Amino acid sequence: MAVSGFEGFEKRLELHFFGDDPVIDMGLRLLDFDSLQEVLDAVQCTVVSAVGNQYFDAYVLSESSLFVYPTKIIIKTCGTTQLLKSVRPLINYAHDMGLTLCSCRYTRGSFIFPKSQPFPHTSFKEEVIYLEENLPITLCYRKASVMPSKMASHSWHVFTACDQTQVVTPNIPDITFTMEICMTELDRVLARKFFRRPNDDKNGDTAGKEMTELTGITDINPGSIICDFAFDPCGYSMNGIDGDRYSTIHVTPEDGYSYASYEFVGSVYDDQDDIVQILKKVVQVFRPATMSVSTTCASHEVWTHVAHAIEPLGLKCRSCIMDEFPSAGSVVFQTFTAARRK
Amino acid sequence: MGCRQSRYFGGLTNEDLPSSSKASLVMSFHSSARWQLHFDSCKESSQLDVAKEFEVQATPTFVLVKRGKEVDRVVGAKKDELQKKIQKHRAS
Repeated sequence: MAVSGFEGFEKRLELHFFGDDPVIDMGLRLLDFDSLQEVLDAVQCTVVSAVGNQYFDAYVLSESSLFVYPTKIIIKTCGTTQLLKSVRPLINYAHDMGLTLCSCRYTRGSFIFPKSQPFPHTSFKEEVIYLEENLPITLCYRKASVMPSKMASHSWHVFTACDQTQVVTPNIPDITFTMEICMTELDRVLARKFFRRPNDDKNGDTAGKEMTELTGITDINPGSIICDFAFDPCGYSMNGIDGDRYSTIHVTPEDGYSYASYEFVGSVYDDQDDIVQILKKVVQVFRPATMSVSTTCASHEVWTHVAHAIEPLGLKCRSCIMDEFPSAGSVVFQTFTAARRK
Repeated sequence: MGCRQSRYFGGLTNEDLPSSSKASLVMSFHSSARWQLHFDSCKESSQLDVAKEFEVQATPTFVLVKRGKEVDRVVGAKKDELQKKIQKHRAS
């Protein structure tokens, strides 16, 4: 393990809004680019590429991704970005558009280099305090929890807050789930595919497209439109859009602190085999020695497919814990490591 | 919708305005300011005939057309790729 290096583990923020108008057409998508860039300046990252369809806009950032739906924003950033500094400006811009925050969810794994993180990300406690101070008091149902695994270096941190309207009751099923996958100790040979060749005379877009094809990422969800980017000298990011669903991959390939993440949204009504195939392909692209999968869903069934998909590929489930959070529903955190090691 | 806004801001002549009966007319712009005005107004437009014709599934999509035929396209705000493709097809 290197003494210091680029932090691959992301911080993820999801904000939901509701509006005064009964029908929200474009909502947050009408936020102009300059305002968005201002929010990102506070976080210390910039837009590198973008694509959108009738449902949402997806931006590849210098350090991860941003998804803007009419009433929902998801920002996921890595490195030493100060993600939580986007909360206040986003609430203000949304307010100017007649939109009010109704729920917030903040999640992250464990940093490889926690001492390199700036305020308020110096500890989960600091992050929770910061969120508590910056969220409106109408979000009165709040919960913060660190979900452990058998490895001290791999925990899952969750904070959710919501107002009266968003408290999930068991008899109202939600059909979508989000899966956040974090992989470390990537196969060295496979990780090398995410390095730019020196003097390749290409730009980030073209090199990114090549990486998507060469590594087999195109095949994970062939139906999605991909917006990819290859960083210099190494690193890769992509957003996939497929109807109203996104998927996103971020890779830090350097040996000693290699990391890759895959996140996607699915439906409990999807063919469960599709989910299994996605997971298998993800493992095949990166062949990590350690992998964690966090499944957030209002219903409880989806996570059961994860181990079935991954274990045949040589990764053994070492821990599996579940907890309930306001408005998010249940979060299941599972960790896997290569079968031959303990 | 775009032409109405352009008239208010930029003082376009009649030649610049496409007639309302030609819904899918290709418009030409000779300054980036005019293009910006039109582009900004189109963001809120629901007139997607051209998009359907070119089978656009996501925006932005840049379709490179040479002598009436599509020669390439770029999906997503990929500045460098777009520049490269324009240069490539301009030369051929």
